[in-house]
Amino acid sequence: MVEIFQNYVGTGMIVALFLVALVYLFLCEKDKNKRILFVYTPVIVLLLFFNPLFYRIFYEILGSEIYFRIIWLLPLAVVVAYAVVHMCVRLQGKVRTGFALICAVVLILSGKLVYSSPLYSPAENTYHVPQKVVDICDAIEVEGREVMAAFPTEFLLYVRQYTQGVCMPYGRTVLMGYYDDFHGLIMSEEIQVEELAQMAKASKCHYVILPEKTVLIGDMEAFDYEVFDSMHGYVIYVDNSIYRGL
Amino acid sequence: MLAVQILILAILLLAVPSVVGLFFVNIGPRDGKLPFAWISGQILLWAGFQCICVPMILSQQKFSRLCLFFGIYIGIMVAAALLYYFLRGRKVAPLRLVSEKAIRKKSDLICWIVFGVLLVFQLVMAVCMAYEEGDDAYYVAMSTGTVGSDLMYDKIPYTGGYTGLDARHGLAPFPIWVAFLAKLSGMPAVTVAQIALPMVLIVMTYVLYYLIGKMLLKGHGSMLGLFMVFVELMVLFGGYSVYTAENFLLVRTAQGKSVIANLIFPFMFLLMYLLLEKVQKGEKLKGKLWVLVAFTMLSGCLCSTLGTLLTCLLLAVVGGCTAVCYRRWKLLIPMATCCLIPVGFAALYLLVG
Repeated sequence: MVEIFQNYVGTGMIVALFLVALVYLFLCEKDKNKRILFVYTPVIVLLLFFNPLFYRIFYEILGSEIYFRIIWLLPLAVVVAYAVVHMCVRLQGKVRTGFALICAVVLILSGKLVYSSPLYSPAENTYHVPQKVVDICDAIEVEGREVMAAFPTEFLLYVRQYTQGVCMPYGRTVLMGYYDDFHGLIMSEEIQVEELAQMAKASKCHYVILPEKTVLIGDMEAFDYEVFDSMHGYVIYVDNSIYRGL
Repeated sequence: MLAVQILILAILLLAVPSVVGLFFVNIGPRDGKLPFAWISGQILLWAGFQCICVPMILSQQKFSRLCLFFGIYIGIMVAAALLYYFLRGRKVAPLRLVSEKAIRKKSDLICWIVFGVLLVFQLVMAVCMAYEEGDDAYYVAMSTGTVGSDLMYDKIPYTGGYTGLDARHGLAPFPIWVAFLAKLSGMPAVTVAQIALPMVLIVMTYVLYYLIGKMLLKGHGSMLGLFMVFVELMVLFGGYSVYTAENFLLVRTAQGKSVIANLIFPFMFLLMYLLLEKVQKGEKLKGKLWVLVAFTMLSGCLCSTLGTLLTCLLLAVVGGCTAVCYRRWKLLIPMATCCLIPVGFAALYLLVG
């Protein structure tokens, strides 16, 4: 549980500020109701979090992966903001302004801007999925039917968010450590066409989408495949031997 | 077309909850009745959705039938709330956004301007920036798939393959609520989840903090702007790990996990504060307050299966502290009663999980 807590708090600076705010409110806040909600309750939640017996019971029922969510019961933002304002109320004029500014700077330096995450990128459309996903799905979809298509890794998170009309033989689970032979083959730089066709047909794939740079060893046409379209650096192969409803 | 879709969503997410929340305006804080009505109305709608949706998922009903039933529920709630408000008009306090003067000095005005600018910044970022969030491949795909296939929790969202009923996830069907909004508005579920809902839920979260701040800063109302700025900084700079509630608010806004962390738990704190005030004054506790607490816990169950445990835990901790501090042991009875519904869902979870 200590490790889970460490993972949650990152550098620990914001939680340190929270603990300082908690101690300050314990010493200076006289209102019983505020003490119950914003001092005693967080302390009890923390004691429960670090209680080995509680952890063991939780672990037995739900596992340890979601144990960190107990920390959500700590009203971090309210406690820190309220403690700062509580201190400011006691100050006057420029001292108050200066103190508030110092607190703001300390908070900014202690935390990390959410938007600084490298996982953010400018949205390419109103679906917040890459435009290549939209264009390829639009190209292969068949009105009123479902088609099966094998995609490279970079598509897996988005295809099913965008449309339920395109199914996949493997999904996000391959990104979570579950190996899939077909996915492994699709991601190879060089692919034996016979092996690809065998796996695609076994999965009843209407389409196979491959990066343009992928080297194919063998003739796709020999296995009833032809190039359906190519866009965004990918080639879409269609299997003419499987009925698509067209 | 887009304007119509936005209008329908505005009605469903702003107007309808505000009207339904009229049931609870009398138990809310004296100032800010309209924001309280908006949030408590949404809680009532979520609780109703949970009650209607879970049995329908377990009995493998069609999604379109759920939309019909929930639509009827909304209609009844809106009509009943309006009837309640107008029939008991004299007893219900007038709706007010703010009554206490929150801006007394130039510095207060600056705080509110900073808050407004930062809020707009967050909303613009919610629209203009996309986040590569793995769990969206489950939740958003579930919403998209539900709208398209008319089936609930019968398909694997990652691949689209058919499976047996996924009853474990079906006990917290927040993605189906997203699908409901998509179906009624005609907007793609992915756009509802990635753009429309963040616009509403981020604002709703700050409105909730505004209400909490008003309660905490009674007599120092002019400091509310500063309080809101610091709350906002806590959220904006909450990226110190990917697990924080603040990070979830901006990154995974339309996931049930984010809603429970950023709306359900803070709202429970607000309700507990209202309850504590009445206990302190020795006033009789209104049944409606307990009903709203129970509905909030039920909404927690809609958001996450873990909501069953965490809402009970929070209520137990606060209830225990209150009982000890005020020597009001009888309070534990209604609190325990409120926990019965989440406990029931937890039992169901263990049964089907």
